[in-house]
Amino acid sequence: MHKVKSAVIGTGEISAEHLKFLANSNATQLVGVCDLSRAAARYAAKTFGAENFYTDYKQMLDQAKPAVVHVLTPPQSHVPITTDCLDAGAHVICEKPITLGHDRFTDLYKHATSKNRKLIEDHNYRFNRPILHIEKLIADGVLGDVMEVDIRMALAIRGGGRFADTNLPNPAHNLPAGVIHDFITHLSYLVLRFIPDPDKVSAAWTNHGNDDLFKFDDLDALLIAGNKHARIRFSCRTAPDCFTLTVRGTRAEVQTDLFHPFTRLIKPRTGGEKLSPVVNQLANGLSLVGSSLTTLTNKLMQRSPYEGLHTFLDQTYQALNNDAEPPVTFDDMDRTSRLIDQMLLEGNRV
Amino acid sequence: MKLLITGASGFLGRHLVAQAIQRGHNVRAQIRPASNIKSLGWENHPRVEIIRTDLRSKAGLDDLVAGVDTVISNAACKAGDFYTQFAGTVITTENLLQSMANTGVKRLVAISTFSVYGFLKMRGGELLHETSPIDEDPIDRDEYAQTKLVQEALAQEFTTEHQGKVTLIRPGVIFGQDNLWTARIGMELGTDRCLIVGPSTILPVTYVENCAQAIVLSAEKDEAIGQTYNIVDDNLPTHRQYLTVLNKHRTPKMKSLPMPWLIMRFLAALALGVNKLFLGRQAKIPSILRPAALHARCKPATYTNKRIKDTLGWSPQYDLEEAFNRSVTDHDPAALAPESASNQTNTDADQEARTCA
Repeated sequence: MHKVKSAVIGTGEISAEHLKFLANSNATQLVGVCDLSRAAARYAAKTFGAENFYTDYKQMLDQAKPAVVHVLTPPQSHVPITTDCLDAGAHVICEKPITLGHDRFTDLYKHATSKNRKLIEDHNYRFNRPILHIEKLIADGVLGDVMEVDIRMALAIRGGGRFADTNLPNPAHNLPAGVIHDFITHLSYLVLRFIPDPDKVSAAWTNHGNDDLFKFDDLDALLIAGNKHARIRFSCRTAPDCFTLTVRGTRAEVQTDLFHPFTRLIKPRTGGEKLSPVVNQLANGLSLVGSSLTTLTNKLMQRSPYEGLHTFLDQTYQALNNDAEPPVTFDDMDRTSRLIDQMLLEGNRV
Repeated sequence: MKLLITGASGFLGRHLVAQAIQRGHNVRAQIRPASNIKSLGWENHPRVEIIRTDLRSKAGLDDLVAGVDTVISNAACKAGDFYTQFAGTVITTENLLQSMANTGVKRLVAISTFSVYGFLKMRGGELLHETSPIDEDPIDRDEYAQTKLVQEALAQEFTTEHQGKVTLIRPGVIFGQDNLWTARIGMELGTDRCLIVGPSTILPVTYVENCAQAIVLSAEKDEAIGQTYNIVDDNLPTHRQYLTVLNKHRTPKMKSLPMPWLIMRFLAALALGVNKLFLGRQAKIPSILRPAALHARCKPATYTNKRIKDTLGWSPQYDLEEAFNRSVTDHDPAALAPESASNQTNTDADQEARTCA
C-alpha cells in the first residue's frame, strides 16, 4: 500500500495526538519530526517512530520531502512556516488558529491554491462522537429547525498550569484575544455548524482578574442570524471545567459536554404532551447512567476529548489520497476566521 | 571557586547555595522570575549573586553562565504533566548546556536521581551501585523518571560533544524540613494513614544537608570529573524504621497498614496481566500497581555510598536522628547569617536580584 510521507513541526502537547495517529496509521510514513529543541525533536522521533528528527524545518522539507506537514507550532509562526511548507510542495494540516486574522487566512489559502496544495485547519471537536450524533439528529429532523445554540467552555486556567505561569508567560498571552484566542476557534467552528451565517455579532471581552498577565479571561458573545440566536461563553471562574453545547430546535433540544461525553435529548415522546417530560427524564436518566460508564471507561483507557482529532486526520488523509475535498473545507475555515475577527472587532461595543 | 547553581530556590537548591557559601565559594544562584526571594535564607549574603531567569528560555543564559568555574545543574520539574516536566527538566538543561558550550564553561555537576535505574530488571536484594543498568524502556515509568533519563543523557552528551568535564550525581530519596514523607515507603491513605509496602525494605535516603555537602564536594574535586556518584546516608533505615522516626516528630501520628512486598508485586503483575490480556495494555493503572513504577519505588535492594566516600572522602555529617531533629525545628538549616560588612566584596547594588533579559 502506498504510504503518504508525513512530517510534524512542533512537539508541544498537541503533537502527541497527531504523532499517535501518524505512528498507528497504515496510510502514512512518518519521515520527520522537527522542533527548535533538539532534545524534544529527538525524543518525539524515538517515541513515535519517526525516521529522522530535525531542528530546522527547512532542512526537513528539503531532505525528507514530506507530502503532508502538520504545523503544530505557536499560532504566531503559522503563516511563515506554512508558506514554506506549501512552497516545498507539501499539503499542510495546521493547528488552530490557522492565522491571526481573516485577511492573512485568505492570503495563505490563495497561496496554497496557487501551489495546487491543500491547506486544512484542525477543527477536531467537530468530529467528536457527540457532535456527530447531534448533527445526525438535525439531519433526521428530530430537532426541527435549529433556533438557538449555547456553547460554553469553562477552564480553571488561572488556578495553575501553563497559562498561569508568571515565570515564562505562555506565547498565547500575546495573541490578539490573549489566552482565549487559543480556544476561540473551537467555539467558533462548532457554533457555525448550527448557525452558519450570523449577521449580527457582539462580544464582551473582559479581564476580571485585573492583572497584567491575562489580556482577557472571559468572553460573552452573542450571534444573531435572522431569528436564530447563539451564545458563546468562555469562563475561567465557574466550576467544574466543561465544554458544553446546547442546541434548541423547533421540535426538541439536545445537550452534551465534550469533556465528559453524554447526550441529553428532550423531544416529544410516546405518551403525548403530558407524559413526555416523564418519559424524557426516564430515557435521559438511563442514557446518563450509560454515559457515566463510558466516562469511566474513557478514563481507564486513557481516551481523551481529542478522540475527534483522530477521525479528522483519518478523513483528511483519505481525502488527500483520493484528491477529494478535505473534511474541513475552505468555507469552514473562512467563516470561522471571519467570525473570530468579527468578535474581536465588536469587542468594544459592549 | 565561582559556582552557578540552578534551581537555587528549590528544596535542594537552597541547601546547595548554603553549603557552597559555608565552604568559601562565591555563588551565582539562578532562581525563576516569580520566586520569593525573601525566604531563601541567604538572599542578603555578600557572596551570593541572585539571577532571576527562566531556563526554559534561552534569553540571557550566556550571561548567566559566563564567568563561572563550575555549573551545578539542579533545576528540574517534579510536578505537572509530561510536557510540563519535559520543559522544566529537559529543555532547561538543554538550554543551559548550550550556553555553557557558547561561553566555554566545561565543568558540570549534573543532579540526576536514583529514578534513572532500571529497578524492574534487578534481582531482589541486589546491591545498587553506580554501574547498575539504567532503565532502557521507561514507557511505564512516571514522567519524572522519563524526563530525568533524557536530562541525564544530555549531561553525558556534553562530555562527548563539548569536551565537558561532567560529574553525575544520583541521590536517593532526599528528605529534610517540610519534605519528610516519601512515596517510596508506600502510599498515603488520607492524612494519617499509609500503606507501607515492604516494611523491612531498606529506604535509600539522604538528608538534604548531607546530600548538598556531597554535591559541593564533587564540584570542588578534580577526581570527581567523569564520575557518577550515588548519594545515600550511612546506616539506612527500613521503611518501618523511617516511619517510626517520622512518627516521633509528627502529629497526628501516621498509622501504617503493612503490605508485604511479594503480595504487592503479585498484585501489580496481576494488574499488568489483566491490562495486557483484556485491555490491549491501554488502561491507565495507578503507579503503585504498574510493575515498572512499583519496583522503582519499593523494591527490596541494598545501597552503597562507597564510591564517593573512597574517591572524595565524603561522609554524611548528620545521622537519621540528627537529621530529623534539624528538620523539625523552627530554625531553617539553609539560612545563613550575612557576613560582616568588612568582609563584603560586592556592592549593595550587586546584591540586588538581577533579572536576565
